Amino acid sequence: MERFLDPAILASISSLDLVARTVVDGFVSGLHRSPDFGFSQEFAEYRAYSPGDDLRHVDWNLFARTERLYLKRYQGETNGQLVILLDASNSMQFTSRRPSKADYARYIAASLFYLAIRNQHDSAGLIVFDSEVRNYIQPSTRSGQLRRLFAALEQAEPRERTDFSKPLEHFRAQLHRRGIVIVISDFYESPEVIVHALESLRFKGNDVVLFHVLDPHELQPVMKGPAILVDLESEQTMEVVPESINSSYRYKLQAHIDDLRSRALAARLEYQLISTDQPLDSMLRDYLSLRKAGA
Amino acid sequence: MGFLYPWFFVGLVGLGIPIFVHLLRKHTTIPQPVSSLMFFEHGIQSSTRHRRLKHFLLFALRFLLLLLVILAFADPFLRRSASPKDSLLLVVVDKSFSMQAGSRFTDAKREALETLQNKPRSQPAKIIALGGHSELLTPPTSDTAELIAALNTIHVEDSYASFADLSRSVHALSDSSSGAIELHLFSDVQRTAMPDNFAEAVLPDKVRLTIHSVSGHSPSPNWTVESTDAPAEVADPANQSVSHVKAVIRGFATASAEKTVALLVNGKTAVTRTITIPPGGSSSVEFAPFHVSYGFNHCEVRIEGSDSLPADDVARFVIRRIDPQRILFVHSPTDQRSPLYFETALNATKSGSYVLQSAAADQTTSIDPTKFAFVVLSDSTSLPSTFEHALEQFVSNGGGVLITLGLDAERRKHIPLWPGLLQQVHDYSAQGGEDVGQIDFTFPAVEQNKPSRGNGGWAGTKISYVASVDPSGARVVAKLSDGIPLLLAKQIGNGHLLLFSSGLDNITNNLPLQPVFVHFIDKTSEYLSDTGQLSGSRIVDSFVQLRSPAANGREVSRVEVVDPQGRRPLSLTEGRTVQTFRLAQAGFYKIHPANGREAQFGVNPDRRESDLTPMSPEMESLWARSNDSHPGPQRGVTPAARYRNVDLWWYIMLLAFVVAVAEILLSNAYLSTQREEI
Repeated sequence: MERFLDPAILASISSLDLVARTVVDGFVSGLHRSPDFGFSQEFAEYRAYSPGDDLRHVDWNLFARTERLYLKRYQGETNGQLVILLDASNSMQFTSRRPSKADYARYIAASLFYLAIRNQHDSAGLIVFDSEVRNYIQPSTRSGQLRRLFAALEQAEPRERTDFSKPLEHFRAQLHRRGIVIVISDFYESPEVIVHALESLRFKGNDVVLFHVLDPHELQPVMKGPAILVDLESEQTMEVVPESINSSYRYKLQAHIDDLRSRALAARLEYQLISTDQPLDSMLRDYLSLRKAGA
Repeated sequence: MGFLYPWFFVGLVGLGIPIFVHLLRKHTTIPQPVSSLMFFEHGIQSSTRHRRLKHFLLFALRFLLLLLVILAFADPFLRRSASPKDSLLLVVVDKSFSMQAGSRFTDAKREALETLQNKPRSQPAKIIALGGHSELLTPPTSDTAELIAALNTIHVEDSYASFADLSRSVHALSDSSSGAIELHLFSDVQRTAMPDNFAEAVLPDKVRLTIHSVSGHSPSPNWTVESTDAPAEVADPANQSVSHVKAVIRGFATASAEKTVALLVNGKTAVTRTITIPPGGSSSVEFAPFHVSYGFNHCEVRIEGSDSLPADDVARFVIRRIDPQRILFVHSPTDQRSPLYFETALNATKSGSYVLQSAAADQTTSIDPTKFAFVVLSDSTSLPSTFEHALEQFVSNGGGVLITLGLDAERRKHIPLWPGLLQQVHDYSAQGGEDVGQIDFTFPAVEQNKPSRGNGGWAGTKISYVASVDPSGARVVAKLSDGIPLLLAKQIGNGHLLLFSSGLDNITNNLPLQPVFVHFIDKTSEYLSDTGQLSGSRIVDSFVQLRSPAANGREVSRVEVVDPQGRRPLSLTEGRTVQTFRLAQAGFYKIHPANGREAQFGVNPDRRESDLTPMSPEMESLWARSNDSHPGPQRGVTPAARYRNVDLWWYIMLLAFVVAVAEILLSNAYLSTQREEI
């Protein structure tokens, strides 16, 4: 399975549909050996009948044997809703190896959509944003939704700067139903601003997950000599010496990650740091665990 | 300080490489994109400056290394005044034939003596006598007395001096000498001494030439007997076609004059003629017929009167009167055509002093081949054994045999006298005969100085039948167009074998009907009978062969040479070993070589020595400066201050090596530092 989930291998597949199918099928075939997870329409438990319960759920066979009324309960009786907020700002196009952060984010999104719609029969939607909302696909379970989502992902080329406030305002206006909200971004923003923008979603009862996608060279930068660096979003330049990388950069980055993680947890937001050289199955695992908890 | 190859400074353009690498490239660093600068800090300026300072040291080393290499290639030198004791004084005195004119040789020796006496006492010197071969008379020595003694041993000779020979000798001397050489040439600097190719006379770089001309730079009028055309052997003095002498009298820098020319035979005037010689031109004179007695006759063509160089007014040659020589022509009993064609051609030759005696092969038992000038075996592969044995002795003692292979040769593979067997017979009659291809016209039997058109006259010859033999050990003189040897020569003992692998019968080829056949028979007869080898004239410094190289030391018979003064220049030991002898003097030589056949020659100086016109001053100046790569005013002819170049490239390369090592160490240190930083 690992072989099919390696991002470097997935980067050579041009079709997002095929990428998602490869990831999810590989992931699901691995789950068959796991006792921890189940799927909808699977029997969960019996519950004693109480007045007002729907008689359609009474197990009449059991009543015939025991002359007692029990209701038969199933897992996942209700369909969930998945909405992904995909950061398509310029900083997402940074790459030191294939795939780039933007491509990696699209693989995550495509795999989650495939898993949600094909396997879980959930409704799924997408918001592509940078400083504005560039594309919005309303959550739906209609046929063709997966194709629309994939098309939107294909068009989500990085540009402009990141701004979390505007897409969230748009999302809050459109959101009428609780569900799982996954934000995929490199989060080059103050943790306070990020958490503040996202915690309102949590207040509305959504399960919010932050996938913090970074390139391996962002986590462990390599610099052989003095260099001039240019910011992909602001296009500002800065002369940097290797000594500062070894000291201040790593310290500041780690502080940023720790701050974001602690603030997210405090706001009851799920947070996961992802390097683009990691397999994609951990993200799918998070989604399923959240969905189970929500059910 | 100067540079031998200043154009290597074009390489200074290469100094731009370290400048680009260290300075320009810094400013064109390609910005690296990052997602955000929010975690980066601006580089500390002092750290970058420190790094650049370290790099500046590396840059300086690299810059210096390139500069030193370019400087070394430009070959810098320091010009220091050379003290006389640093250089070798080379005194060259011309002893050639032309130095006999007037007081040239005396003047040359006197000036050479003055030069030796005036040289610094510690300066080493050598004496060279320039003649037919340059002779080094002393080792390097500063002993003036020894040098003067060596100078006094030089005597004028009859040889020809060439400045090309002098250049070769000085080159050899220069290779074995480390310091500078001062060459003082005391000569009449004839223009004829300068080789046609001036490059052959150019002296080595470290040789400074000073010419002491004793000819006064003005041409001296001189007449000479430029050439003589006389038979070496005469059988019938009354035959004008053979018995005549033609001489060419030439004047150098002379006005028109009437000259009386006499032919002297054995010291007595036989004939005199008076001719008019145009200014600076030549006229020919003929003497015919004239009477000579049997044996060797010492003849001279002499110009009456005096001129600048009386010694060249005579030309010597030796005419040998002999009875007509007999040639034994052995043929197969059925072949009557070959002797007929051969005799006809023989009678048509220029000399015509041969008598042919033909005999069938089976009738040769009692014939003694030593009574004949040479023997022809015409398609006679089957000979009586006694005759074949006698022939072997004949050839071994210096006799000559011509073997031809006709139609009968194929019946018996054995070829008399020839070491190998007959291999194969080629019949070209179906295709109308094969052409004669390559011919060695330098070989005496087919000799032609300037081969005429049509392959020297052999183009019309068609060979219908040829027998191929093993050519190993023989000289292939002529080949057919397909490479089959046609004429082969081999030396056995002191004698010569000539194998013509076709016949003389006009059946196996059409050679007997071709005009070139007469020439071929004439030259072959001369070659096999040694005609012209025992008399005639030679030039001073030419060599005569005293014994065959094939003898290879096995021969113990002694040779004897009597020079024009009646002395015997060869010692008893030399008389048993030497193979050749150099004719060093003008006059008449008597030679008794190993084969017992006495030879006498008239020896004359090289006629280039008769032209007393000196080299022009411009030519002298050019020659003196021909080895000078730094043109300067009047160096060599009028000696100015002498300088010695001290090359510096070796020290510069040593310094460059040190800088290269420092650069390697420093750059390695930088690389290791960067690895730690990563």
